[in-house]
Amino acid sequence: MSFWDSLLYDLFPLIWSGMITGCLYALGALGLVMIFKCSKVVNFSHGNVAGLTAFLVYGLSSGMLMSLSWGAAVLVALLAAVAIAFLIYSIISPLVFESDLTSTIATLGFGLIAQGVTLLTFGADIVALDLPIPRFAFSVLGLLITGYDLTVLAVAVVTIGALFIIIDYTKLGIAFRAISENPFAAEVCGLNLRSVHYFAWITAAILGVVGALLIVPTTFLSVTTVATFMLQAFAAAVIGGFASLPGALVGGVLVGVLMNLFTFYVSPEFSSTFLLAVILVALNIFPNGILQKVGGSRV
Amino acid sequence: MSDQATHIIPGQSAVSRLSELATSGLTTAVVVAVLIFLPLLLGGSWTFTLGLCFANSIGVLAVSLLVRYGGEVSIGHTFFTALGAYSVGVLDTRYGISLWASVPLALLLGVVFGLLFAWPSRNLHGIYLAVTTLALALAVPEMINNFDVLTGGYEGLYVATPFIPGVEMGLQRYYVALFMLVIVCLAVARLRLSRQGMALLLAKAHPAAADAFGTRRVWARVSIMGISGGIGAICGATLAFSGSTVSPGGFTFWQAIFLLVGSVVSFYGLSLTRVLIGGAFVTLVPQLLSASGAWIPVLYGLALLGMILLGHYMPRIRNAMNRKAEAN
Repeated sequence: MSFWDSLLYDLFPLIWSGMITGCLYALGALGLVMIFKCSKVVNFSHGNVAGLTAFLVYGLSSGMLMSLSWGAAVLVALLAAVAIAFLIYSIISPLVFESDLTSTIATLGFGLIAQGVTLLTFGADIVALDLPIPRFAFSVLGLLITGYDLTVLAVAVVTIGALFIIIDYTKLGIAFRAISENPFAAEVCGLNLRSVHYFAWITAAILGVVGALLIVPTTFLSVTTVATFMLQAFAAAVIGGFASLPGALVGGVLVGVLMNLFTFYVSPEFSSTFLLAVILVALNIFPNGILQKVGGSRV
Repeated sequence: MSDQATHIIPGQSAVSRLSELATSGLTTAVVVAVLIFLPLLLGGSWTFTLGLCFANSIGVLAVSLLVRYGGEVSIGHTFFTALGAYSVGVLDTRYGISLWASVPLALLLGVVFGLLFAWPSRNLHGIYLAVTTLALALAVPEMINNFDVLTGGYEGLYVATPFIPGVEMGLQRYYVALFMLVIVCLAVARLRLSRQGMALLLAKAHPAAADAFGTRRVWARVSIMGISGGIGAICGATLAFSGSTVSPGGFTFWQAIFLLVGSVVSFYGLSLTRVLIGGAFVTLVPQLLSASGAWIPVLYGLALLGMILLGHYMPRIRNAMNRKAEAN
């Protein structure tokens, strides 16, 4: 009986909360995949830029820089994220068409700068940044569901839904798919690669801000919080197969649940090592991502 | 990643490249000679810092080698340096065994783990290896701290056993690092001329041709990571001996990024002088900026970007100027 009890009281709540955080990892991973799919660049600055904007929301709403309302602060942060994404892509765009490796290293440089700017502006202190949502909780089938859970779920569903609709039905989305499928043919057909790249980078930045703002209430905000969060997003993207948007979604939820189970049942001290092991195992078993059909290796 | 990062200086003819090889031998000899006599002129703190420079240069070389021969990026070479450093540290403090035995062990461990981590991404784009090494870099401090029975945890280990008994330790820490750097550079230069090196370069530049000649791509991908991991471990071993202490603080995620930055700053060069520039950058910048810690990431980021953009625009500017000169 005690086995079932522990299952009910530990396992299901763990899976539930893992899925909630997993949705946020998926938001981060979707941003990474968007950029990688069309420009073949792995954006290592994703986490640090999102972290900088989360700090911006804190600074603007807490009275440190200004005392705006939370909504206005988020709006400013989103604009800042879009501007930063625009700037980063503008600087590296000549490299993108030359070498994906060089441009990937360049994004690492932007990540360092973003982290340094965060440190210089906001210091190394840990701060708390909450969401302005009603606090309530109710239990369904033994699961404690909080207002935070529902907010995350709703925001994630709406954001991801909107993203997939844009990609499936709008002209920009079709151009995006064409370019990820075959950039050369798409260019021959008259599509402007750069404008689609801008679209991907800016969308990714917005996804990053949304993910960062939603993950921060579960922990505290420090210079490295969001970057650590993005590591899980990287793992999610690898598991999903770096070039697949639905894969990123599934990978995110999977990583969220696995990490939650691991930290509870085994040890919270080895979480990065565990993540490494997950990546290594996933690459061995599903080299092209869990949603990809097994086929010949593509080099 | 199909890539041209190695062609960071395009437009170089084969002849000029050959002549560069010939002069670089002479330059290297002069540099080594100067470095051998430098401790006679400099104070103890400078010899210590230079020793660390040499050790870091080896790490920079390991990262550059991976880019040049494999077309892959590693953001996690601290794993290998930690492996090498703790081989030296543990054998030294627990068993009193000096570098004679611990360096070969470090090399072996580095190669084995390099192969191990490259294997899962053998058939994939280099990004998978980059992300794996990123996870590796973040996991290293955690592993060191949690295996504290062996590694001494936060407190770290102190390396005190001399390499050659009877010689002053301060000088040993300098000359052993220099010796290691020269040996590794010579070995890499030999690799360039060996069949193995040719096969690796062929597999990277012309995969189809390599297949036709019977060079297996998987083997090339995995083996270059093994070689690079081994050199990374030698860097760690040297770092442990020259720096005299081994502690988790030396193998953080930052350290891993710094090695990559050093490799970019030296334009992925594999010659002694080039890697010395990278190693010096990695060692000296944090020392100069130690008072204003927050500027370190900004400066490293700017250096990284600056070098990459320089590598991109310089050849174009030079070509444009040459064309103008020809027209006149």
